[in-house]
Amino acid sequence: MNRNRFTPAIMRDQMEAVRPRSRRRWARILLAGPGAVIVALTLLAGMPLWLPGGAAGIDNLAFPLVLAPLIWAALFFHACLDRSIARVALVAAALFLVHGGLIASRFIGQAPVTEKAG
Amino acid sequence: MIHLKKDETKAMVAVHGWSGILLGLLLYAVVLTGTAAVFAHEIGAWSAGHVASRSAFQTPIDARIRRLAAITPPEYREAASLFEIGDHGLGVFFHRDQLDAKGMPTERGIYYQLDNAGRLRRTVQGFSEDIFGPRNDDALSSFLVDTHVRLHVPNPWGLLLTGILGLAMLVAAISGLLIHRHLFKDIFTLRRRANPVLVDRDRHSVAGTWSLPFAFILAFTGSFFSFFGSIGVPVVAMAAFGGDVEALSEAVFGNPGTPDPRPIAIGNLDRVTADAIRRTGEAPTFIAIENFGRADASITTFHNPRASDIEPVSLLYDGATARFERAKPTVGTRPSAGGTLAGIMGPLHFGNFAGMLSKAIWFGLGFAMCYVTFTGMRLWVVRRKAEARSLAWLERTVTVVGYGLPFGLVASAAAFLVAMPIGSAVYWTTAAFLIASGAAILAGALVRSNETLTRLLKGATGAVALMLPLLRLTVAGGPGWGEAVAAGQPVIAALDIAFVAAGIWMLHGCRTALRTPDRSAPIVARAVDA
Repeated sequence: MNRNRFTPAIMRDQMEAVRPRSRRRWARILLAGPGAVIVALTLLAGMPLWLPGGAAGIDNLAFPLVLAPLIWAALFFHACLDRSIARVALVAAALFLVHGGLIASRFIGQAPVTEKAG
Repeated sequence: MIHLKKDETKAMVAVHGWSGILLGLLLYAVVLTGTAAVFAHEIGAWSAGHVASRSAFQTPIDARIRRLAAITPPEYREAASLFEIGDHGLGVFFHRDQLDAKGMPTERGIYYQLDNAGRLRRTVQGFSEDIFGPRNDDALSSFLVDTHVRLHVPNPWGLLLTGILGLAMLVAAISGLLIHRHLFKDIFTLRRRANPVLVDRDRHSVAGTWSLPFAFILAFTGSFFSFFGSIGVPVVAMAAFGGDVEALSEAVFGNPGTPDPRPIAIGNLDRVTADAIRRTGEAPTFIAIENFGRADASITTFHNPRASDIEPVSLLYDGATARFERAKPTVGTRPSAGGTLAGIMGPLHFGNFAGMLSKAIWFGLGFAMCYVTFTGMRLWVVRRKAEARSLAWLERTVTVVGYGLPFGLVASAAAFLVAMPIGSAVYWTTAAFLIASGAAILAGALVRSNETLTRLLKGATGAVALMLPLLRLTVAGGPGWGEAVAAGQPVIAALDIAFVAAGIWMLHGCRTALRTPDRSAPIVARAVDA
């Protein structure tokens, strides 16, 4: 049975309006939940590969390890508060791809990442 | 102040409420035991009647370590860790680094336990994760710390769980800040004569707002500690060192140098401890010896932060000659931004950077966090109880955990004081907590009204807390106030007074509640909506 034939036009319009809103809401939940965790873990693994080592040659290791909870929180609140869900997805995807690419190139290249203390 | 749009504020209110209600009960357990664990060392001294006040490192240790090294099999003499145990006794762990059955790096060796007179009391052999468990004289403080660190769930799951709780607290703290429309007004608004629930809401808001920076720091540092070893190190090691955790550890914590395996006797350790005390003004908390008995041996002494500083201190000595080489950061080989940031995480979390004063402030703010977590959950339930009667079970659960947990903790302390003299404190401290928790759950299921349940649990907690100083003096044979103060341990008397005061406060609250008529749900709901 075709439900649309028996649904008043005004209700159909409301349902059409609700559907994308619900989809956006789920997209936001996915980006704030598993999305933020995955991107934070990728950043944790990828940041040591481009951060400078600093005076003791360990800043690139220490900063991601220490700041990991704040990185996750930043991604979480960005996903919750940014009015544009597309921008949230774009930022998350860019961070994921850049750091994921760095990790992949590291495994292919196997170059050392620790710097000698200067 | 941050001004959010209406729908963003609504989203933040939902995030604040759900982050608290989904994990709030476990978070409350972690924060409450963490608050008590700020004084874990003092609780250990109070409960076991420790009256020695001189650090093990202020007494001669060199001859003792040489004697122990002589009876230790050569394969375990690769490194040694020295630290204080019990009543200023000395723990000595001779070990070597190796991989466990799962291929993860660990330490295997022999752990010697000496009393403060240097007598060998116990020897345990095995992997580090198996041999460093609670002892009869520190079962109570170990129980508190273990509950706080991993809720007694086996690692790595326990650490992951408390790490997630830390993130939930971080979310609650940040969203709590964002949803304040009138931050400065809220800090000072306490309507004492209003409806009881409005009073509760004001108190939640005031306590939460004042302790917001502290909640943020605790949640951030706490989740860092939980995730550091369980996720952070393996992930960074995988990316930067091809999965070699030991290489990462060596890069961050190691003392690089040219290997020289020639056998040379270790330098005079008494000279090292005396020099370290002279340079820092206080005894080390931990001493690590690498390449024990070799020409390239190194000795590192670790100390609490100096006065007016927040970063811990460590000193490096040449192991073969006991000559001072340099002060080094606790993380990294030379001072760096990353090393300093990682180094201050411990003092910021434990509040041990300014002696008893910072510990007292951390305890007070931790208590405020417990109050905020508990009242937050109650307000959430009360707001929705009128809409959904099925939430009555959640209100009951919040009461059972909120008041049952302190009851379980004082019951475990009482059981420790009774069981310690007969040598079974490790078993009974945990068993008493479980029995008391079971009794609180049973009361939650059987008692009709929530108010009666609250009074019952508060009264029981107050009564047991009042008994603790008596049990310590009579059953556990602990020192009297005069003896404790004379021995330089006034903290024993201070904790006695604290338990009596807490007991009287709980019983007084129970008595006041008996005089107050029950709150009716509709009034409560209207008050929350107001």
